[in-house]
Amino acid sequence: MDETTLPLTELLATDLDDGFTELVRTQAGTVRAVLLRLSGSARDADDLGQETFLRAYSALRGYPPERRGQLQPRAWLLTIAANVWRNHVRTLSRRPGVADGIEVTTIEIPDGCPGPEQLALDGARRARLVAALSRLPDHHRLPVVLRHIGELSYQEVAGILDCPVGTVKAQVSRGLAALRAEPGLAPDRGAYGAAEAKTAKTAHEPARTERKEATG
Amino acid sequence: MRLPDELDTLREAAPAGFAARVLDRVGVPAHRYDCYVRAESPVGTLYVAHGRGAVTGAAATDWYADDRAFEDAYRARTHRSALSGVKPPPGLARALRGRDRTLRYEFGPLPEEQRAVLRATRAVPFGQLRPAAWLAREAGMPDLAPEAVVAAVRANPVPVLVPAHRLCTDDGLPADCGLPAAFERRLRDWEGVDAERVERFVRAGARFLGSGTTRIFCYPTCAHARRITARHEVPFTSADEASAAGFRGCLSCRPAVV
Repeated sequence: MDETTLPLTELLATDLDDGFTELVRTQAGTVRAVLLRLSGSARDADDLGQETFLRAYSALRGYPPERRGQLQPRAWLLTIAANVWRNHVRTLSRRPGVADGIEVTTIEIPDGCPGPEQLALDGARRARLVAALSRLPDHHRLPVVLRHIGELSYQEVAGILDCPVGTVKAQVSRGLAALRAEPGLAPDRGAYGAAEAKTAKTAHEPARTERKEATG
Repeated sequence: MRLPDELDTLREAAPAGFAARVLDRVGVPAHRYDCYVRAESPVGTLYVAHGRGAVTGAAATDWYADDRAFEDAYRARTHRSALSGVKPPPGLARALRGRDRTLRYEFGPLPEEQRAVLRATRAVPFGQLRPAAWLAREAGMPDLAPEAVVAAVRANPVPVLVPAHRLCTDDGLPADCGLPAAFERRLRDWEGVDAERVERFVRAGARFLGSGTTRIFCYPTCAHARRITARHEVPFTSADEASAAGFRGCLSCRPAVV
């Protein structure tokens, strides 16, 4: 039995429960991270993540094995996750008294990855980034999160958002530009960036004033 | 740091137990997958995987780059998924302190003879050492080649908990049981295996130690052998030699069939 070489999609096609377990093992982290950044709250991310996989499982049960074998697991799951999140937002907007939409809760520290001193150093900046991300309008946040947290290609994001690839690229780049424009995120971004901006400004200003004088 | 790289750092791992909760909610039966926890042990943090009421795997966390690497290795070995869980199997903490009473083990896809050797390995008491021939005999296969016993011990999927590090060579020196050398040393040090004393007997060619007062002989690391005072120590190079001298084998460490 050479089961180890079976890719996830083939596992899904041959043994749904085993394949689905692998799907959850390999993708649950990404799905939850995307939902965490979309919803801004850990509790919502947990609930929406469970909802996503529940939907995925019932959909897979209805699929014939060939279709399960052709899935792009991450893009497919994130499509469901994006829909689940949009439904969630719509429900919230209908019942505004229940919760305030996006809430920026405490940032949980992930197990292991960065050391404590690095976290302390980056903590404030990270918190600013998280806050800035949650302040982005939905139509920018969704593409940015899918592209950079969900690690999808522009084509895949375009498929999820049902719009041309060029539009997605523009939305992502506008989203990133909006994040860069956040006052809290500017200073740390390397001295050269700030210096360049300043010299560019100072170089431009005299030129403009000169032109003004010339015209005036 | 570029902004996209900074966004990468926001891709944080799901909390332990999230994947298991998802499967529970979806209704995938629990016997289809295993869970693992990070457990503190006297020799460092361990991954301990368990499922279907048995412990199915263990490894030091620093042998793997991250949790995903451990999960992948586990999948390759057992063909089962291991999900990060929160609840350790009952009795684990005790077992990690050297008092393994209640844990059951499932060794995965290993040949039956290797499983038998590993079951026999569990019988080696804390802080003691046994040669391959002893394990073969206790496993009920006295004719098993020593190389096969060593291979079984090295295939041990549950190091630390199944004490493969209590294997010694025929001389009595601690044997290489397939774990990183420093880790093995730490394990034996923690169990109080007296390396100097073991080496002293090996240099003298003594495989067994008899007591001049009780006329019983043991493996040198047996708890009873450690109690023999120096002037009553009677070393033997073989069990036959001890029997010929009128000594009988110890009933706890069973150096010969008694």
